[in-house]
This record gives sequence, structure tokens and C-alpha cells, in this order.
Amino acid sequence: MIVPFGHLLMFAASLFVLGLCCTLLRREIIMILIGVEIMLNAAALTLVGGAAYWQQSDGQVFVILLMAITAAEVAVALALVVYLKQRKGTLVADAFDRMSG
Amino acid sequence: MNETLLFLIPLLPLCCALLNMLVGMRLPRLFAETVAVSGVATAFVLTLLFWDYASGAGTRATLFTWLASGDLEIAFALHFDRLAAPMTLMVTGVATLIHLYAVGYMHGEQDYARFFGLLNLFVFAMLTIILADNLLVLFLGWEGVGLCSYGLIGFWYRKLDNARAGTKAFLVTRVGDVFLGIALLWLFALTGSLSIGVINAAAADLAPAVLLGLTLLLLLGACGKSAQLPLMTWLADAMAGPTPVSALIHAATMVTAGVYLLCRLFPLVSLSAAGMAVITAVGALTALYAATCALAQREIKRVLAYSTMSQVGFMFMAVGAGSVAGAMFHLLTHAFFKALLFMAAGCVIHLAGEENDLFRMGGLYRRGPVELFWIFLIGAVCLAGVPLTSGFFSKDAILLAVFTHPDPVYRLFWGIGVLTALLTALYTFRLVYLIFAGEPRGQGAPHPVSLAMRWPLWPLAGLALLGGGLNLPALVGGGERLHHWLGDLGGRTIAAAHSTELRLIALATALVLAGWAIAHWRYRRFAPPTEAALVQFLLHGWQADRLVDRLLVRPFTATAHFCSTGCDRGLFDGTLAGLASLAQRTGALLRRLATGRVSTSLSAFAWGLLVIAGWLLLQLASRGGHG
Amino acid sequence: MATALFYILGFTLLAATLLCITRRNPVHAVIYLVAGFFALALMFYLLGAPLVAAWQVIVYAGAIMVLFLFIIMMFGLTPQESLAGTGVQRWLPLALLSASILFCTLLLIAQDPAATTTGDATFYLAPRDFGTALFGRYALAVQVVSFQLLFAAVGAFYLGRRPDREESS
Repeated sequence: MIVPFGHLLMFAASLFVLGLCCTLLRREIIMILIGVEIMLNAAALTLVGGAAYWQQSDGQVFVILLMAITAAEVAVALALVVYLKQRKGTLVADAFDRMSG
Repeated sequence: MNETLLFLIPLLPLCCALLNMLVGMRLPRLFAETVAVSGVATAFVLTLLFWDYASGAGTRATLFTWLASGDLEIAFALHFDRLAAPMTLMVTGVATLIHLYAVGYMHGEQDYARFFGLLNLFVFAMLTIILADNLLVLFLGWEGVGLCSYGLIGFWYRKLDNARAGTKAFLVTRVGDVFLGIALLWLFALTGSLSIGVINAAAADLAPAVLLGLTLLLLLGACGKSAQLPLMTWLADAMAGPTPVSALIHAATMVTAGVYLLCRLFPLVSLSAAGMAVITAVGALTALYAATCALAQREIKRVLAYSTMSQVGFMFMAVGAGSVAGAMFHLLTHAFFKALLFMAAGCVIHLAGEENDLFRMGGLYRRGPVELFWIFLIGAVCLAGVPLTSGFFSKDAILLAVFTHPDPVYRLFWGIGVLTALLTALYTFRLVYLIFAGEPRGQGAPHPVSLAMRWPLWPLAGLALLGGGLNLPALVGGGERLHHWLGDLGGRTIAAAHSTELRLIALATALVLAGWAIAHWRYRRFAPPTEAALVQFLLHGWQADRLVDRLLVRPFTATAHFCSTGCDRGLFDGTLAGLASLAQRTGALLRRLATGRVSTSLSAFAWGLLVIAGWLLLQLASRGGHG
Repeated sequence: MATALFYILGFTLLAATLLCITRRNPVHAVIYLVAGFFALALMFYLLGAPLVAAWQVIVYAGAIMVLFLFIIMMFGLTPQESLAGTGVQRWLPLALLSASILFCTLLLIAQDPAATTTGDATFYLAPRDFGTALFGRYALAVQVVSFQLLFAAVGAFYLGRRPDREESS
């Protein structure tokens, strides 16, 4: 591997926390979803790094599966965005609080 | 005849009771009455037919095994022996006459099926007590008579006082039943059997202290049923029931069940000298107590109730003095004359226009049919113990048995008995004078007394007058037939010099005369009732009800109140309500966390992530520290 | 050379992502994100995963992000709020929280003894080997994931139908 494994993990962790910040701090559903995508990519980076470190193909296979599942998730999530926009006329996440106790 | 047919004696009244209870109201009235009377009358006839079975060791008949569990095996068995036979004959005979009387007495009553059903059921339960071969079957009948007594005292339950009187009788007798139940369990633990024969045979091996305890428990059980001190408060109130009920249950049969129980277990009871003394003491004190109370009563039936208590007290004295024959003799004669007195009192109440109060009667000699006066007088002279009547002989036999007892303390009981005999004569003649002498004092219009109510009195009157012939003492040329019939079951043989007997008879006669003289002097002319404190004290039965109320009911109510409001509502409900409101408040607090917003959940995730990362760091740090 | 390139790409990725999450306009955010994904794809290539790098460009940057753009443009989303626009009381604790998580994670990675090793430098997974692994050992997983995609398609279709049609039927 071209770099120490720890450095790669640090990049992945930083990317993950940036995605986390995005989901936590932004209010629009679109931006929250983008934050989720960033976090998923951080996970993908870790998996590919792990594959390279341990010389195994499994990590890369998992990234492919991860992408497929992300595609499915994004399809449903964006359909929900369309649905909610039509229903409520807004995409601010805090407007959807019908589960309030 | 097959001995299993003995079961017909109790089962016939039971079948008639069931018939009356289930379909009685759909049958014509005459049919229901016929069923009720014929059931008991057939039992009477059967008892006569089976009489020979009783001689010797008696006859045992087993119908089926009732309970079987480990060592315990209880057969539903009857034992028809020399003690049970006369008692059965008396109960069925008197019950037949009282049923006939009840047909007339309850003529206008709508609820006749319930009345006759319960009355028949009572006869069944009473016969079960008498014929039971083991104590559990006896206990079944024991509880059965209590139940029927409850139902019949409160027969006119629409009046609250009647229902209360029924409840009181049920509860007070239940206190005695608890002790009897304990005695049963103890006997089973000691002997491994509940059969009366086995227990009586095994009693000789028991320790004296155990025998004393058993005797006292049995005595308390008998006291509850027989209205003896200290469980006597219910009998006077039980007069709220219809008069035939008072005659049958609360004079002739059920109240004597306690005496019968002690006679049944006499071989066990007689082994404890101290226990016997206690029995005599209870009997003597109750006799005196009830006689004094009877002196002041205003209601005719309450006078008779207290006199019943007093006479049953005499029977207890006889058992305590070791004379089962004397107790049974007095039991039988008392059943005749007291049933007679009650039924005559029912007629008197009718004639006086449903008037119970003695002070508003009077003059019934001139007003009513003369025969009623004579019938009542026959009952009264028997109760008072006028010489040559049945009551005279039976009471005299008891006093003689107590007098001749070797233990000197029995002389004291004898003294109480003599005093009671004087009081008995006094209150009996007071009753007669207040009812029949002088001018009518009441306003009630007389009701006619039907024939059905009058003619059953005559056989009873004959039995009451001549019942002494059952056990005439040798002194007057009698054969002591009951004593010989009972044989070894009859207890101690009373041996006394003829001169002693003569002196006692003379004393009894003098007492009766003195009682009559005092009553004649005091009540020949009616004097308005006084409100003296002593009269009030006696009228309320020595304030026994208030004493029970103070000693038992109020502390119990206070405890219950404390348990209810203090413990239950305050402590338990309070704790639970506190826990519930705590949970509710916690829930309300937690509810604020569930905002339903995505951002809240997400930040919760983030916090969780921080916790996990921090925990991993700590793990690392501790591992680094160790390594 | 490759090592230096990796670090440059890494910091480019972080910078692009940081710019992405701070944009008010969602379109800009998505564009920066796509830039970051390109950098990530190159990093995958440097780590010996050419096929994954290709998929990253084709699927992520090409399909998923374009889908985002479609939705954003379909609604003509105007910039409604910005990071600066939200109150300090709201974002400061969350920012601190994120910073602590990052700190803890980095500390954990730094503490790990494996973090400084590099492993074999010459790992390269050819597409043929990749395909063998994917459709050999992971055939079942591929099936499951394909079902997942089918369900997602059905769900999206159901959610996206026009409400007025539902009312008319």
C-alpha cells in the first residue's frame, strides 16, 4: 500500500465527520441526504483501504454492494422528497414532526 | 329389611325439601304442604319400623365412600344405636306435629315453598347429626342446621331486623363451629380417624391435658349451637322467625344438638374431670343467667327463648354430672313441652291480634277458646316442674345427679340449679298470669285460630304430661326405662338413698309452690311495668349484646377501619398511586425528548457515537495502563 | 509519487466536501460533492481498485448525483437557509459534538499499532478477479441486493404517483 493505513483511516474519519456535520446542521432534507451520501463514501473509502491492506478482494466487493444499496436508498428517499414536497410544500426536515410525543 | 334402608330416614325429608325448593311454587299449595308433612311423617314411621336395629351395638349402614385421601377415609355412614334411636324418634315425631301446625300457621303466607323446603331441609340436617357415624358427616349436618336456621329466622327478610337476627344467629353459631372444626382436626391428628366409635375407644389413651383441651373445644362448639354462655346472644333474637320455626329449631331440636354432641362423645368427654366440671359450670351459669333474663322479658317468645336457654343449661349440667340418661331424658321432655309452649304461644299471639307484648295481652282466658288455656297450662306446669309432670321428673333427675356427684364443687352447681328451678317456676307462672288473667289490655282484634293449628297440640300435650313415664325413677315405682335402654351409653348410674331423693323431691315441690305463690301475689292483678334499672338490665339480657359490641365488634371494626383507610388506602394505594404518578411524570419528561423531528434523532445518534468512541478510548487507555 | 498524489487527492476530497456542506445553494453543493467524488475515485484507483473507481464515477457521480440534481432542479429549490443563518445556540453544540467525535476517532486511529504499517504496496485487483469474487462467493448477496433494488424501484414508483389520480379513482 502506498500510504500508512492509519492515514487512510484518518481521511475516512474526517470525511465521515464532515458528512455527520452536514446531516446534523443542515435543515433541508436534500442536504441531509447529501450528508448521508458523504458518510457512505467514507465507509467505502475504509473498505477499499482495508482490501488493499489485507490483500483481499472482499472489501471491494462490499463497496459494489454498498453502491447498489445506496442507489436503492436514494431512489426511495428522493421519491419521498417528491411526495413530501407535494404534501407539505416544504422540505425543511423539522416541519415533519407528526411523530411528536 | 336391608340396613341400607336406614338412609331413607334422613333422605326422605331431603327429597321432599328438594322437590319443594325446585318446583314447589308451581305445584298446588295443598300438594306442597302434603309433600312436606308426609316426608317427615314417613321418616317417623320408618324410625318406628327400624326400632329393633338400634338394640345391642346398633346398626351401621354405609352408603358410599365420601372422601378418600391418604390416611383419611370418610364413608357416608349412619349409626343407628340406642342413643340415636330415641332422639330420631323425637325429632321426626315433633317435626311432624310442627309441620302440621305450620300448615295452619302459614296459611296466609305466599312464600310457602321456601318455608317448607327449608323446614324439611332442616329435618334432614338434624337427622344427619343424630345418625352420623363419623364426625365429618355430623359436621355436615351441623352446618346444615345452621344454614336452615339462618334462612328461617330471616324468613321475613323484607324487615331488616329479621334479616339481621338471622345473620347474627349464623355468625355467633359459626364462632362455635370454628372450635368444633378445630376439635375435629385435632381428633383426626391424634387418632387418625373421624369415626365416633374409634375416637371414643381411643380416648382412654390420650393425655389428660389433651383430653381437657378437646373437651373445652367440643364444649365451645356445643355452646354455639345450644346458645350457652358465652355464645348465647343469638337465641333471643332468633325469635324473629315464624313461630313453628321457633318451636322446631330453637326449642325442640337444633339447640339440643350441642347436648347430643357431648352425649355422643361422652366416653371421651367423661375422661376429663376438669372438663366435666367446666361443662357443669357453663350449664349452671347459663341456666341461672337465662332464668333471670326471662323474668323481665316483655315479649312472649323471648320469655320462652330464655327459658329454652335455661333448660338446655340443665341438660349441660346433666352431662357434666355424668348422667347422659338424665340429659337425654330432659332433652326429650323439654322438646315436648317447649314445642307445645311455642305452638300455644303462636295461637296466643293470633288470638291477641298479632300482639307479642305480654303487657298488652291479658284476659285471654275469657276471650279465647278454653282449650288453649289448658294446653298452655300443661306446657307451663311441665316447664315449672310441677310434681308428676314430665318436667318435674327430668329436672329432678338432673338435680339428683348433680347433688350426688362426689366432687364437692358440684354442691355449688346444685345450689345454682335449685335457685334456677325457683326462678323457672316464677317466670313460668308470671307468663301464665300475664296472658290469661285479668282484663284484656290490648287493642288488637282477635284472629281465629284454625283447626290445623289446634289439634297437633293435643298429642304434644299428652306427651308433655306423661313423658315422665319414659324414665320414671324407682322411687315412685318406675322402671327407669330410658336409663336401661341406653345401658352403657347412659353414663354414671345415680345411686342415692331414698331418703335423700325424697328430701330433694320435697324441696322441688316447695320451690314450685313458692314460685307460684310469688307469681300469684305479684301478677294476679296487672301492675303497670316499672322502669327500674334492674328490670332494664335483665330485659336486655344482662347487656350481653352491648358487652359483645364493646369487646369484639368495636375493636374489630376499628381494626378493619385502620386496615381499610390506614393500610389499604393510605399505605398500599398511596404507594401505588405514588409509583404511578412517578411513572407518569417520568413519562411526561421523556415525552419532551420525542419531538418527532429527524434532527433530534440524528443528534441522539451522534451522542451515541460519541459515547461508543469514548468508551473505546477508555478501553484503550486501561489496556495501555496494564500493558 | 503515488503517495504524494494520494495525500493531494485526500485533502482535495476533504476541501471539496467542506465546501459542499457549507453551500447555501443545493446545486452548488452537489457540484462540489461530485468534484470530491472524482477525487475519491482516483484514490480508489491508487489503492488498487480500478473497477470500483470506475463504478464510483459512473454510478455515484454519474447517476446518483445527477438524480439529486434532477430533484433539486425539478422543484427549483432556492437557497432557503444557510449555515450562518441558523442560530449559534443550535449549531455550536452540534459542531462541538462532531469535533469531539472526530478527535476521539483520530486518537483511536493514532493509538492503533497497525496504523503506521503500509502492508504490501503492490496490491492490484484485476476486474477478472473482482468478477470471480463477486459472482462466485457473493452470488447470493448479489441476488439479495438486486431484489433490494427492485423493491426500491417499486416503492419509489408508488410514492411518486400523482395524488390527484389517487383521488379520482
